[in-house]
Amino acid sequence: MNSAFMEAAISLNNDYVREWKEAGKKVVGYTCSYVPDELLYAAGILPYRVRGFGATEATIGDTYFGPFICSLPKAMLQLAGEGRFDFLDGAIITPGCDSMRRLDECWRKAGEDISGILPKFFFHFGVPHKYADYTVKWFIEEILRLKADVERHFGVSVSDDRLREAIRLFNKSRDLLERFDGFRTAGNPAIAGTEALAVILAGTTMSRDIYVKLLEELLETLEQSRGTLKDRTRLMLVGSASDDVNLVRLIEGERAVVVADNLCFGSRFHADRVDETGDPIEALAKRYLAKNECPRMYGEYDGRLKMLIDKADRANVDGVILQNIRFCDLHGSENGLFERDLEKAGIPCLKIEREYGPLVETGRLKMRVEAFLERIGQRRQSA
Amino acid sequence: MMVAGCDVGSLTSKAVIMGDGKIVASVIIKSKARPGDSADAAMGQALSKAGLSMNDIACCVGTGYGRDRISFVKEAVTEIACHAKGAQWLVPSARTVIDIGGQDCKAMRLDARGNMVKFTANDKCASGTGRFLEVMARVLHVELDDLGTLSASSRSAITLASACTVWAQADVIQHLNSGVPVADIAAGINSAMASRMSVIVNNIGFERDVVMTGGVAKNAGVVAALEKLLGLRIKRVTRADPQLAGAIGAALIAGERAQGGKS
Amino acid sequence: MRPELKEYKFDSMLLSTFTAAAKLRNGSEKEYRTMLKYIPYFNGTVTAVLDTGEPGQLFIECISKYLENYITAREKGFHNAITTFCFSPGILYAMDVYPICLEVLSVAQTFAYRRGTAEFLDFCNEVGYTETSCSSQRGTLGAFLAGVGADVDMVLTDTPGVCDTNANAFAFAAAYLKVPFFSLDMPPVLSEARSDEYHNSDFRALIAFIEKHTGRKLDIDRLRTVLREIERQEELVAELEDLARMVPNPLPVSFNLMVYATRFLFSGMKECTAVLESMLRVASDNASRGASGLSGGVEKMRAFFCYIDHYTNSLRLWDFLDRNGICYQGNILSRSWSNMAPHVKEYRTEAAAYSFDYGDLDAMIRTMALHNSRMPMIKSIRGPYDAPDMWLQDTLSLAKMYSADCIIYNGTPGCRNTWGMVKLFARDTEKAGFPTFIMYGDAFDDRVESWEASQDRLEEFLRVRRLLV
Repeated sequence: MNSAFMEAAISLNNDYVREWKEAGKKVVGYTCSYVPDELLYAAGILPYRVRGFGATEATIGDTYFGPFICSLPKAMLQLAGEGRFDFLDGAIITPGCDSMRRLDECWRKAGEDISGILPKFFFHFGVPHKYADYTVKWFIEEILRLKADVERHFGVSVSDDRLREAIRLFNKSRDLLERFDGFRTAGNPAIAGTEALAVILAGTTMSRDIYVKLLEELLETLEQSRGTLKDRTRLMLVGSASDDVNLVRLIEGERAVVVADNLCFGSRFHADRVDETGDPIEALAKRYLAKNECPRMYGEYDGRLKMLIDKADRANVDGVILQNIRFCDLHGSENGLFERDLEKAGIPCLKIEREYGPLVETGRLKMRVEAFLERIGQRRQSA
Repeated sequence: MMVAGCDVGSLTSKAVIMGDGKIVASVIIKSKARPGDSADAAMGQALSKAGLSMNDIACCVGTGYGRDRISFVKEAVTEIACHAKGAQWLVPSARTVIDIGGQDCKAMRLDARGNMVKFTANDKCASGTGRFLEVMARVLHVELDDLGTLSASSRSAITLASACTVWAQADVIQHLNSGVPVADIAAGINSAMASRMSVIVNNIGFERDVVMTGGVAKNAGVVAALEKLLGLRIKRVTRADPQLAGAIGAALIAGERAQGGKS
Repeated sequence: MRPELKEYKFDSMLLSTFTAAAKLRNGSEKEYRTMLKYIPYFNGTVTAVLDTGEPGQLFIECISKYLENYITAREKGFHNAITTFCFSPGILYAMDVYPICLEVLSVAQTFAYRRGTAEFLDFCNEVGYTETSCSSQRGTLGAFLAGVGADVDMVLTDTPGVCDTNANAFAFAAAYLKVPFFSLDMPPVLSEARSDEYHNSDFRALIAFIEKHTGRKLDIDRLRTVLREIERQEELVAELEDLARMVPNPLPVSFNLMVYATRFLFSGMKECTAVLESMLRVASDNASRGASGLSGGVEKMRAFFCYIDHYTNSLRLWDFLDRNGICYQGNILSRSWSNMAPHVKEYRTEAAAYSFDYGDLDAMIRTMALHNSRMPMIKSIRGPYDAPDMWLQDTLSLAKMYSADCIIYNGTPGCRNTWGMVKLFARDTEKAGFPTFIMYGDAFDDRVESWEASQDRLEEFLRVRRLLV
């Protein structure tokens, strides 16, 4: 695999971002997979998914956020406070969840105390929590509001043609990623989950045209290669946002392979397509709002359960790891339901609550994963 | 055929040698700084007790947090799988095992062959582990062993912050200062501990019989409170020291391996 | 959860408890005082409420009636719905759906029982619902998940966009119990025409949902009756709030709770109006005599609670305030945002308020939608806290208007949306000149921080800031 993916996945200000900036172009960060990043791209701006990776302490995060809050937005604020997102010219915050939506105030107030850490363009993007004709209408207005603000602030204009072009390009990357998924889910996977997450993640940190080229090259290499992970226990990873490839590496170890996921920084990135015909804004609104993979879309549990069971079938998984970051009630609680219903469907599950952050003390997590693999092994033997 | 299990825990290390389904020798020692040293010492003592040498052991399995650092084992297996196996050997009717050690708490549901059907482990913090009781006993100035018996004489147990050891400690001090009888505080501590455990046990959906292993199994107050919460009698372990469950399970798995069982 | 708790329906037991409590005052004073000794964990609440006289008596009867209504709804051919405190029940009453408000039932249990809702809280965790979720819903949710509550027809909430942990509790309940679910979604801004439009469309979808699942059409006359009653209740609350501005404040400490609780229970119904009218009589009488509502008669300071109250341990918070001569100047739960509310008039915030329009069915539905979208928390905890018409602006306005000497935050650790910014919020209110105290306890779960510990810290704050000398 091209090391470019992994490098982009484990560094914030990567080469692609630097080159983009050196060319005098703008970068806007966003915090949620419900932001139609095609819009930014069509405006000549690099959409960059804000991350928490690499935060080693929480001094700044804890100063502004209260104690009972998810450690991911805290890590994001920490990085921002340390100046590590100084390359961002803008940021878009959404009510993805309560912890994440409070990044709005916390980042702004930290910006009053630490100069230079708050991007000049700062936008609260109201994503509805359900799909209906009137919520789509609202969402269209919200995208138009964002478009107008972006155009005004950055002195650009986004034509429908540019937008359609961006939509086609982004759809293409989704097509390629779907093909890529085939190598993960194959009987003898050619790529481990750790690398797979890096490949997907990289797409949120670089220009999409470059990304598409890299993906095409990668797929060519994979076509030539032979799988080496046939004997490993096949897992699916589900739950809270994780942009940390090391978490997947820890889970996989020597004996397992993560062949599927439903993660915010993972396969949710390329699920569904944007309609390429008709009004592009409406098409974006419909694609993004119709995504129900995240428990923020309330009342959609049955759909998500079905999706997981389908994914598990397609990837022929031996077990599912349901993880949540502490204080993530949405994923945490839904994991409880998934555990009940997936186990009922004969799919072993391991539920884990964790903190987001550097994986320092890994023994306990590792022990549970190993015990889970042992459980799956015992199950196979008795079958 | 002789097989062995070695359980290197954070506080104590255990070694068990088994032959023909019986314990030939067992050892419990305080863990040393390096897991490898603890294993060597425990196994060495067990071998000399049994009058055997390592060459006599057909297969040895390691477990516990130091399981990957043991030089002489054929395989490392997690303490969850080993405790499950061991507990069922100790009490054959066991279908649910609660193991509470000094620093963790786990619960397992088993099938008739001792295989794990479901497990969970609480290791978020000290609450729900033996450590919680240790800290509380120190605040109350009583021996850890007395904490369990004290609660039997309580008339009105206090309600305690079960969520956090640090806050609970502050609460206990406050109750002490306001003259609440020590027995009532002890009862509150034990029932807080039991309530924490009952959540974990209910979470995996327990089946009878329920067995408790680990040091906290020796605290009668906690066991009684947990029995009340679960509405059943918890089976006592008499066949061997319940602290040996992990090492026994490791030895049993070693036996399976020696007979060609796959890992 | 102990097996014996599964032997009885929790809500039927609660009904017996409150029905008995409503009869406590039937005998002589001596008999009443004697009875209190037999209910050591409930007598704090009983005295705080019943000692207010007629309003307290009516209030207790209200709780009892409410429980009976939803428990017996199905056998009477009606429906019931699990819902939340910030969901105005008016529309439900207009459609013969009896609400089951989780948070109010959690408070009722913490009022009455020593164990509060502890075992139901834990039961939720046992079935996989996170222990970090808000205890306000969790305590009662556990009872319904365990099958010890009445059978439920549907689950309704209106907190998406406002409070995840709340919305999640209801989504979880519906998925777990496999009953129909509907949520009203709240956009991040309040006073914009497109938000009104959104609320209106959403509310119409709610009505369609209820019609579908009950097989009953919304009746225009029923809706008008409910709406008229809500308007009357708004007038009464406005008058009570006006009185609360006087020095000394003629309202007893427990009145604020009774204002919001009766509204959560019976908004749009005569039962609520009766309690409010009775409270107004008592408060007006006190006011005409220049008397303080505090039982000691001397008002030493005024506290504004910017979020919710602390309910555990038989209303010890009320006892603490009353004993120390601290006047309770309201919280966000008691506020409403019709255009007749005193704070709307005082600060000319009509744009964020709503008015009653009985023109036709559409107008009335729109009024209900706007009324509902301005319920406590729904109104001001959406979007950033420092945006116009949001939490900070409301709090500072109300604290100033009611001459508060300090602002106190109390919530639950489950409250992601306030714990995400309460430190910043407190920094702002301090800057505005209000000593501000953040309580770390759990309003519904004493096991997080005992009331004694909470009280110690609160006393320390009042001492250190020289608020109570």
